[in-house]
Amino acid sequence: MSEPEAVRAEVETMLALVRERYGSRLSAEELAGVRTAIEGIVQAAHALRAVRLTNADEPGQPFAAYRAIP
Amino acid sequence: MKAEDVVFAPVRRLGELIRDRRLSPVALAETFLDRLERLGGRYNAVVTVTRARALEQARRAEREIAAGHYRGPLHGIPYGAKDLLATSGGIPTTWGAAPFKDRVFDFDATAIRKLEEAGAVLCAKLAMVELAGGMGYRQPNAAFTGPGVNPWRRDAWSGGSSSGSGSAVAAGLVPFAIGSETWGSILSPAGNCGVAGLRPTYGRVSRHGAMALCWTLDKLGPLALTADDCGLVLEAVAGRDPADPTTVDRPFRHEPADPAGRRFRFGVLRGVTDGCEDAVRESFERSLGVLRQIGTVEEVALPELPYDDITRTILFAEAASAFDDLIESGAIRGLTAPEDRYTAYARDAILAKDYLKALRLRGVMAREVDRVLAPLHALVAPGRAAEAAPLDGQVRSAIRGTARDVMGAVGNGAGLPAVAVPNGFGPRGLPTSLQFMGRAWEEHTVLAAACAYQSLTDWHERHPDTS
Repeated sequence: MSEPEAVRAEVETMLALVRERYGSRLSAEELAGVRTAIEGIVQAAHALRAVRLTNADEPGQPFAAYRAIP
Repeated sequence: MKAEDVVFAPVRRLGELIRDRRLSPVALAETFLDRLERLGGRYNAVVTVTRARALEQARRAEREIAAGHYRGPLHGIPYGAKDLLATSGGIPTTWGAAPFKDRVFDFDATAIRKLEEAGAVLCAKLAMVELAGGMGYRQPNAAFTGPGVNPWRRDAWSGGSSSGSGSAVAAGLVPFAIGSETWGSILSPAGNCGVAGLRPTYGRVSRHGAMALCWTLDKLGPLALTADDCGLVLEAVAGRDPADPTTVDRPFRHEPADPAGRRFRFGVLRGVTDGCEDAVRESFERSLGVLRQIGTVEEVALPELPYDDITRTILFAEAASAFDDLIESGAIRGLTAPEDRYTAYARDAILAKDYLKALRLRGVMAREVDRVLAPLHALVAPGRAAEAAPLDGQVRSAIRGTARDVMGAVGNGAGLPAVAVPNGFGPRGLPTSLQFMGRAWEEHTVLAAACAYQSLTDWHERHPDTS
């Protein structure tokens, strides 16, 4: 599957998910707006996935073990 | 001295007049309260004028100063706060959103508390794009208070999302304001309204009591008439806060004047003006000429990475989670901009794996930009790619992918400080701006550079006609 085809397929899958969850509250016009937004999200995801990282590349870590004071 | 004569005076000057007891904090508060009440509606800049609290604080300042207890340069200075900062005393905190227009907190955000400790006088809660723009708005009319109106031209936008913070400072309704930035929400209104705006390093200013849009991107910072004033305000609000674990214990002290003759080394990202309007590019080129009087300018490059996609994915995912209740319940139907009522549903398409990939890539991005910035004092770039949008037009936005903004993506994604100052006007008579972005915790350096630039230019001394 080519990259554009892969993006299109993923957009349709994600749109189906959104339609399943929220379709009852969305008009056809709004659903078209959601599709446009999903296209942007999926294209961004593909751009992120195209970058290779190493096992050592970890997210910035805001998490810290918690212990109440005192 | 009459208070009405100093409406467009910088905070530093006002502070000196108050300190020397040539200007009454009460008279000054009355002047700005009157302007907020008379002109705030013209610009859709104000949600709530906090007259009672302001006069109480101003009277206290006057008593303290008369008794010889001068707190510092913000003592007795009026200000406004973006309406996403919690305030006690029955003052609403609306987040710019109709579903929250009557909501009241019983505590003050840390930034509000610290400003009170510095003696500043809270005169207004200022208008903002609903939920700080996190729901995908495409137009200026995206707040229950109406579209933010630009004081330079009333058919143009002032935002966003700290729209009221930008327009209130530009129109002389307050000497300074607090805004917030997740991606562009301080630098954009500062640029659109022709004032200075400082986005501090992530973790420099406590966000306790501020609406959360994106936990790992949100920053609070000042807007004022000059970069120097932004430094004064930052010094008052910066610092560690146990209530916000992202804050750090790094002292910040704003030095008012740099040693004469200091030389700077500036970098310009290759292609940074691609996509900018001609007038923005012309203002920027002229600014580079000014900067060459105080330093060197060289072209630099970042490696190819999907910078916009990294920061956008983080923003969308965290905003969807932060407002999960509002989205799932359907309460977003109560928002003003039609697109804000449904766009967030699309964010169910963000996979956890992709969000984490964006967080991992953010680390790479932060290291790469720090490597580029290390030999420099600042990267410089246009503050915005275009003059302010018309009120009835669409807002170009890197967040939605309708514009590119590598400086914004990298600066916000990596949590770096930047200050924007006015550097000219476009063909519609609206301001253009210049931004200085530095390494983490280098606010003093970008402020020094911006102050040096402003010492050689007079764009910040021009004000819109508010008569």
